[in-house]
Amino acid sequence: MTDCGCDKAKAELEEYIHNELTVGEAADIAEHMENCDDCSGEHLVGLTLTLKVKQACNEKAPEDLKAEVLTKLRELQTS
Amino acid sequence: MSVLMAAPSVPTARDLELLLMTTDVTPEPAAEQSVDDVRALFEEQALQYMDQLYAAAMRMTKNPADAADLVQETFVKAYTAFGQFQQGTNLKAWLYRIQTNTFINNYRKNQRNPYQGTIDDLEDWQLGGAESVTQSLSTRSAEAEAIDHLPDSAVKDALQSIPEDFRLAVYFADVEGFSYQEIADIMKTPVGTVMSRLHRGRRMLREKLADYARDRGIAVPTTGSTK
Repeated sequence: MTDCGCDKAKAELEEYIHNELTVGEAADIAEHMENCDDCSGEHLVGLTLTLKVKQACNEKAPEDLKAEVLTKLRELQTS
Repeated sequence: MSVLMAAPSVPTARDLELLLMTTDVTPEPAAEQSVDDVRALFEEQALQYMDQLYAAAMRMTKNPADAADLVQETFVKAYTAFGQFQQGTNLKAWLYRIQTNTFINNYRKNQRNPYQGTIDDLEDWQLGGAESVTQSLSTRSAEAEAIDHLPDSAVKDALQSIPEDFRLAVYFADVEGFSYQEIADIMKTPVGTVMSRLHRGRRMLREKLADYARDRGIAVPTTGSTK
């Protein structure tokens, strides 16, 4: 197989991270990154960014909001 | 908590990918539907998403009182329209569509945003620049490590500071793991616009987080560019 090269890998890295590529396209990018520190480093930064955002936004709704919503739904049902 | 620390001792991209995998299974529908059943079904299926919808509402409205109001309104609308929800399709995405719509109609028009409606057309430099983010970072792994060590508050502040449409695209893709097509449906915009918002949002976020790390002297070497 021929390496897809840095330009293609970098151009499609975001779609690779977000699982938007076909299996074949993703395999090409993965293969390139095996041998390219620069692109695999970009990939690591991208994944880290995603995980940090996901982690930072892991918030719980306040308990009183849950109670309020339940009350509201029951009111709606009986009205 | 550090995401890199959560992975095995020497984290690889593969470990991080595994951490990102999530499953969203909508429970099986009930067969008969009396009014009681509908409410029970709704409570059983939809209420589990309240924490996520609240977290999203916080990113939208930026304050707890408005976020709570938005979530409550979303559930009321969703309950009223629940008969139109097609069982077996993605309930979470449906709830997000309602919440995003409600937010745009009720809250956004009260906010002053001179760029509203044209944000996608602005160049990066007009938005405060998002050029080469890694200029002064010695390696990509140093940058990843610096981002990884940032407190959640810094990440949320950075998110709040990027334009709303970019912020929501990032939130939907990175926090909720929605596909580009699902995000396009939620934001009522073409997939190409979703891609552009996501890419630009993440680039701005990355730059802000690198700045934040540097400002606090968090282990980010400033000599020797990779380019």
